[in-house]
Amino acid sequence: MSRLPLPLRISANGACSLVLAFLVLPILSVVPVSFNRSSFIYLPPKAYSDVWYGRFFADTEWRSSLLHSIEVALLATAMALVLGTLAAIGLRRVGGRLRAGLAALFLAPMIVPVIVTAVAFYRSALDVGLNGTIIGMSLGHLLLALPFVVINVGISLRAVDPNWIRAAEGLGAGPWTIFRTVTLPHVVPGIVGGAVFSFVTSFDEVVIAVFMAAYSNKTLPVKIWESIRLEFTPVVAVAATMMILIAIVLYACAQAITPKAREGGL
Amino acid sequence: MTASGLSLHIAGVSKRYGSFKALEPTDLDVRAGEFLTLLGPSGSGKTTLLNLIAGYSEPNEGEIRIGKRDVTRLAARHRNIGMVFQNYALFPHMTVSENIGYGLAVRRVPSEESARRVGEMLALMQLGSFADRSIQQLSGGQQQRVALARALVIEPDLLLMDEPLSALDKQLRRQVQLELRRLHLKHGRTTIYVTHDQEEALVLSDRIAVLDQGRIQQLGRADDLYNNPVNSFVAGFIGESNLIPVIVKSISGSRALVESEGLRKSFTVEAGPGIEAGGNAQLLVRPEHLLITGKMEGGGCDGISAEIIEIAYLGELNQFTLLLESGQTMTAREVAGRSLGLGAKVHVSWKPGCARVVTSSTREKEKKSNA
Repeated sequence: MSRLPLPLRISANGACSLVLAFLVLPILSVVPVSFNRSSFIYLPPKAYSDVWYGRFFADTEWRSSLLHSIEVALLATAMALVLGTLAAIGLRRVGGRLRAGLAALFLAPMIVPVIVTAVAFYRSALDVGLNGTIIGMSLGHLLLALPFVVINVGISLRAVDPNWIRAAEGLGAGPWTIFRTVTLPHVVPGIVGGAVFSFVTSFDEVVIAVFMAAYSNKTLPVKIWESIRLEFTPVVAVAATMMILIAIVLYACAQAITPKAREGGL
Repeated sequence: MTASGLSLHIAGVSKRYGSFKALEPTDLDVRAGEFLTLLGPSGSGKTTLLNLIAGYSEPNEGEIRIGKRDVTRLAARHRNIGMVFQNYALFPHMTVSENIGYGLAVRRVPSEESARRVGEMLALMQLGSFADRSIQQLSGGQQQRVALARALVIEPDLLLMDEPLSALDKQLRRQVQLELRRLHLKHGRTTIYVTHDQEEALVLSDRIAVLDQGRIQQLGRADDLYNNPVNSFVAGFIGESNLIPVIVKSISGSRALVESEGLRKSFTVEAGPGIEAGGNAQLLVRPEHLLITGKMEGGGCDGISAEIIEIAYLGELNQFTLLLESGQTMTAREVAGRSLGLGAKVHVSWKPGCARVVTSSTREKEKKSNA
């Protein structure tokens, strides 16, 4: 990079900055908007205030939607971690064509349009009475979150030398002991990464949530969606800021945990 | 030598992968305390056989017993076998001590006893100061010793080693070979060692099984394999050899009359096992048994005319490459001293009783039919 001639370097840096700005600025613009004092959205705000944060937390509907989102995301993440880790380990064990086929199946939710998944899931959920329940929404989000765990854990598993497993087996360890003492320490980074992706995927998911949510258990994105259609106040910006904040915090946590886990594990 | 560990008995064991026969039905008996090497090129079945003994794969047929126990269908973890892998397969997230103690922890050996046994192993392998190091901080030779310690600390009935020195440089390999030999003489643990390096096999082993094409071609002590190879594969794999295709004319007692078409000459030589009159075979002469005489000196009736086309000086030995009239080459070695020049026309013969006729291995036959 430093070997590029100066004019080229400047224009390359400029182009990168433009792309970054295009990606990030619209997202970041909701932060000043959330501190707007007036009840209309101005950018930049004419006067600053935290009044809308007060409104957000005073309103039981906003507050409970945030809690519902966290609840759904935690449930979906927990299920995705268990199932996704097992799936990734299973995929390592089967060979050839079967592995390719199964991998495609596990990753399909990433490729199939979400609206298709949502309609299909909605229809199936009706038969078993899961519509409008928290667990129903979590199961829907599980579909979308699973590929992230399968991919992340799968990548970590590649670092596990099959001979380590054979060595442990030869030394007398059973399958569960081998998983706990040999495989797991190396897979922790993948599990942490998968967990963050799962949580964020569920936390900001709106399509399945719109189909599945009942009036009493809307998630935050559903509530934002409804509010924008009815009343366009800076409370929406507050909600959006909360979502960005949670995503950043989670990402930072993952970054902080992962290198440590890798140091101990690899 | 005190024998620790048990004997191994393999009867009619074979392994197929689909239609590929990795191991033909094989018998092998290893005595308690013996150091036996499975020697062969890659794809010869030696690693297949080792994995069957370790329990990492199941034979299609046959029986494997360790001591009196039938382990044919027993999982690897119940066999009480210590294995050293080619890449060592040490656990990188554990310290040296934790690696060595793994088998004890799995067996729920009380921590006091476990610490004592790990400590003894560290001392034996001269790893005492590395106990708390991580694996990445060790050199290849040290890792190799940790792998050996981890396999030995569980006091296995058998010690299996799969090309454990192949990752080390030549100098270190020589040193570790001697250490392994010393360790084995001291503890006498029954050991099955896999390698493709004949020199390593000769240094380490009580007996060597030479494998090729999924079959034990010959099993015996090193000198036996060198002096009495059963076929041209063993002859070529153990030590260096000159092989000349011949036709067996007749057999009388332990000797055979053979004829080389290329050389248009007949010789009477020792006959190896399986030699039949009228069949194709290989005449074997080791380089150190060839005699070179100047043309003027007459030579014997066995003399073959040849020209010296290459001379290599190996210190106390000279090595000559000889071009025969048939177009074949032979290698001869003799103690340095004579001045034989490049391009010299000479007679080649051999010391009496030092030539043998052996059967062509299947590999040689295939080579011929491909050519």
